[in-house]
Amino acid sequence: MQTTASPKRTSSGSGRFLREYGWAYLFILAPVLLFLVFTLYPVASAFVMSFQQYQVMGSTWIGLDNYKHMIGDDVFWKSIRNTVIFTIATVPVNILITFVLAYLIFQMKNKAQTFFKATLYLPAVASGVTISVVWLAIFDPTDSGLLNRFLGLLGIDPVIWLGQSGTALFSLILMNWLGSHGAGIILYLASMGGVPKSLYEAADIDHASGWTKFARITWPLLKPTTLYLLVTGIITSFQVFISVYLMTQGGPNFATTTIAYLIYQTAFQFYEFGLASAQSFVLALLIVIVSVLQFKAFSSDVEY
Amino acid sequence: MARVEFRNVRKEFQDHSKESFTAVAGSDFVINDKEFVVFVGPSGCGKTTSLRMIAGLEHQTSGDILIGDRVVNNLHPKDRDIAMVFQDYALYPHMTIRDNLSFGLKNLKKPKAYIDQKVKEAAAILDMEPMLGRKPRELSGGQRQRVALGRAIVRDPQVFLFDEPLSNLDAKLRVQMRVELSELHKRLGATIVYVTHDQVEAMTLGERIVVMNRGIIQQIANPTELYAKPRNMFVAGFIGSPPMNFIDASIEGGRVVVEGGSFELPAAKLDALSPYAGRKLILGIRPEDIHGEDYAPGLETSPHRMNTHIQVVEHLGSENLLYFHIGGRLVTAKVHPETKAYPGLEKPFIFDMRKAHFFDPDSEQRIEI
Ligand SMILES: Nc1ncnc2c1ncn2[C@@H]1O[C@H](COP(=O)(O)OP(=O)(O)O)[C@@H](O)[C@H]1O
Ligand SMILES: [Mg+2]
Repeated sequence: MQTTASPKRTSSGSGRFLREYGWAYLFILAPVLLFLVFTLYPVASAFVMSFQQYQVMGSTWIGLDNYKHMIGDDVFWKSIRNTVIFTIATVPVNILITFVLAYLIFQMKNKAQTFFKATLYLPAVASGVTISVVWLAIFDPTDSGLLNRFLGLLGIDPVIWLGQSGTALFSLILMNWLGSHGAGIILYLASMGGVPKSLYEAADIDHASGWTKFARITWPLLKPTTLYLLVTGIITSFQVFISVYLMTQGGPNFATTTIAYLIYQTAFQFYEFGLASAQSFVLALLIVIVSVLQFKAFSSDVEY
Repeated sequence: MARVEFRNVRKEFQDHSKESFTAVAGSDFVINDKEFVVFVGPSGCGKTTSLRMIAGLEHQTSGDILIGDRVVNNLHPKDRDIAMVFQDYALYPHMTIRDNLSFGLKNLKKPKAYIDQKVKEAAAILDMEPMLGRKPRELSGGQRQRVALGRAIVRDPQVFLFDEPLSNLDAKLRVQMRVELSELHKRLGATIVYVTHDQVEAMTLGERIVVMNRGIIQQIANPTELYAKPRNMFVAGFIGSPPMNFIDASIEGGRVVVEGGSFELPAAKLDALSPYAGRKLILGIRPEDIHGEDYAPGLETSPHRMNTHIQVVEHLGSENLLYFHIGGRLVTAKVHPETKAYPGLEKPFIFDMRKAHFFDPDSEQRIEI
């Protein structure tokens, strides 16, 4: 078989090079073009836009005004606070739930494993909209709402879950806890399966208790997966939008306004594209900083 | 105190179609205190399964297992006072070598000073003090091997179990580790059960050898006896390299007749073979017991000669391997390199009948003569 492994340098070097490698570059070109047109260009122009008073016809350069305005805006700080609370409340709990479910499933026989994997993955297939609609019914503030009816059985008065500042953000958090863990479960299961059985046998012979095996072998060896879920979880959570948009529209009194929702509002309700761009860059910067910090904090003792 | 005994131990595995497969069929043996016993046999013959049953990692389908004087049938691995070296070493990849070594002792809640002392000793014995701070992935195969050994040593177990510990090493390192293992055994004075598929390893390491095939123990004997008196054709063919030659033969008129020749036998031996008169049997002779007529020290006057037609010659330096056919079977002779030989040459060979074996062709058992 003819391969392209050994290009010969001849007088017609460039022609030969193109003939042998041309296709490869052509194939690479497609994704690179897509990236340039739909990612790099918008990001770059948004960066420029964040220093402008945006108008469809001829924006004006206003320097750091957008950023100054943003910093002086109480709602902006509140949105950061909400986002951080949401993230801290959801991500670790979600990882814990995911891990426990995966650990339980891992002990099961083949068929039961398949059943639970499929069942728990199902919500990941359903769209966020569908799930939000279901949760709107659960959080229905009247006493016919599912959650309120359940509380009624316990003799607790109906709660206006999404309609008051005190419970709105918590409601979104609760919904997130009980949301989809399927993808994480699959990842954990894969890495649990990747831990050689002989390590546990060696540990058995080494007098390790069940807890020791978990704490000294399983958990450390699954750290790369945990780190991955932590980083992706935080990134996703920093951008939480759909549930806010569909269920509370950021209210009441900005109690559930997250950064992503604020950006949406600024851009598409107030048409302040310049300000929205500035907010986007702050969000991006936050995500980068947090991710780097996490890798710094965890990667030293992660065994890849 | 640390003998290991199997009493009619069976192990069956259920496969996916729920059919049972017998991995170990009724094993009976006693391994004495401080003895180095090697289990050897082809891949899949049930060696690892036997070892894992001693360790308690696999539970026997029936039969009794004793360690020391205790029946350990229902004991958890940690309560059997054994240590095991796994084929893939099974080092904890995320722990330093020091932690790998001390893991078992920490689980036993030994005092820190004791643990440090033990780790230090093991590191000294195995020459790995500089590696204690490293992780397994930063070590070579041979070094990992040592760590696996060390992890077993620090525990001072009654019985050491080894599952093909040298199979992942290169040939040179293997020879070196073989010597070290022998020395370690003398030094520790422990009972060692060692599994390998390599008969050279078995012969050099084992004080006694258990030869297995298809889940059945074929013979238990020391290396000399195994070589000189294999119980059946399987053992005869498995022990020794190149393997023993098997040639179709018959007894006619007081002589052993093979295609192209015959050999006279002393009356005493003929007596033992008399039930086979007029029937087929199998002559077994090792390659090193066939000599070229021109180089057969001590056998110059032997009457047991036969002309053969050399087909292939392999030069190994210290010896040459010659191949020819007798009665449709390929026969190997391992001869002194000064023996004149080239493909196509027809010359007389001397068969050392003092060392010949005879086997029943139906039962494949060796006929004691
Ligand atoms: N857990 C298991 N399930 C089913 N069959 C097994 C299992 N472990 C071993 N076997 C089978 O038992 C036989 C003996 O295996 P083993 O003891 O590992 O052989 P070896 O002598 O090569 O170490 C093999 O045929 C193997 O396929
Ligand atoms: Mg094996």
